[in-house]
Amino acid sequence: MSWFTFLIIAHVFGTILGVGGATFAEIFYLKALRDGEIDPTENSFLKITYRVLRIGLVILILSGVGIFILGRLTGHESSFYDPRFLAKMTMFAAIVINPILFQTKLLKSWIATSISLVSWYGAFIVGMWRNLDASYFEIISVYILAVMIAAFALEIIKKMIKIEK
Amino acid sequence: MTSVLAYNLIAHILLGLIGVIAFYAVWMILLKEKSALKWPKILAFVGTLSFFGSWITGGYYYVKFYGKAVKPVILSGKYPWAHTIITESKEHIFLLLPFLSIAVFLALWLLEDKIQSNNELKKWTAYLSGLIFVLGAIIAFAGVAISSAVK
Repeated sequence: MSWFTFLIIAHVFGTILGVGGATFAEIFYLKALRDGEIDPTENSFLKITYRVLRIGLVILILSGVGIFILGRLTGHESSFYDPRFLAKMTMFAAIVINPILFQTKLLKSWIATSISLVSWYGAFIVGMWRNLDASYFEIISVYILAVMIAAFALEIIKKMIKIEK
Repeated sequence: MTSVLAYNLIAHILLGLIGVIAFYAVWMILLKEKSALKWPKILAFVGTLSFFGSWITGGYYYVKFYGKAVKPVILSGKYPWAHTIITESKEHIFLLLPFLSIAVFLALWLLEDKIQSNNELKKWTAYLSGLIFVLGAIIAFAGVAISSAVK
């Protein structure tokens, strides 16, 4: 197996764990809050899900940097200037910075959740969509719009299942 | 570049990255109101070792290859500031990182009880971990800029 194949497999594996973790974190969180409190079992499910998500993130970073190094060493740098790659990096930066802003209370929970979820899915979709013909600003505009829509949708879901903010 | 130097460069980048990730995690855990220090202690240990590993491998690459083969190319190219400003800054900021990481590592291992009971101490240990992450991230981006200048 070549280094490139190994790194791509690791990158996809990290993405699966990350996207899956972000999805189930939100599902478990909404389900846990349904009765107004998070009991110990629900808490342990959430903890495991966040751990899986973090493992996915670490695998994603290491494999991503591995691909970057390999690209540099073998002279395949052109893809690093691709708007798709730059947009993916922006979403990835949002995934890393989002918890910092949330933990330092600079970001409210409703928008932090939405940024996390949309950034994971956004990075996954942009990464997989090989022939996407769009500029960086077009991709980021759609991303910002998606964050807003997701935040709105999550608030509606919370209201529907009667969760207090 | 020989394969030994190539693997050396890869080790330098990956070890630095592991250190940055470890201190990001320490920072995030310490920012929580209630946090056990088991993981921050392990992560600070891993992060500190990684920074030293990255320091040594980076130093070897710099002495054996960068100064002779990369620096002249950058200085005679379109972006000489990539060396005169970015590499020079990177080198000096990086001198700080292993020592800052030792400070966090020692605080977590020797002052565990005090950190648990003293919020102010916990807050400043978190800030120091955050500073290590930010400096580490800046250094990583500086590395990308320097390698772009060569190409």
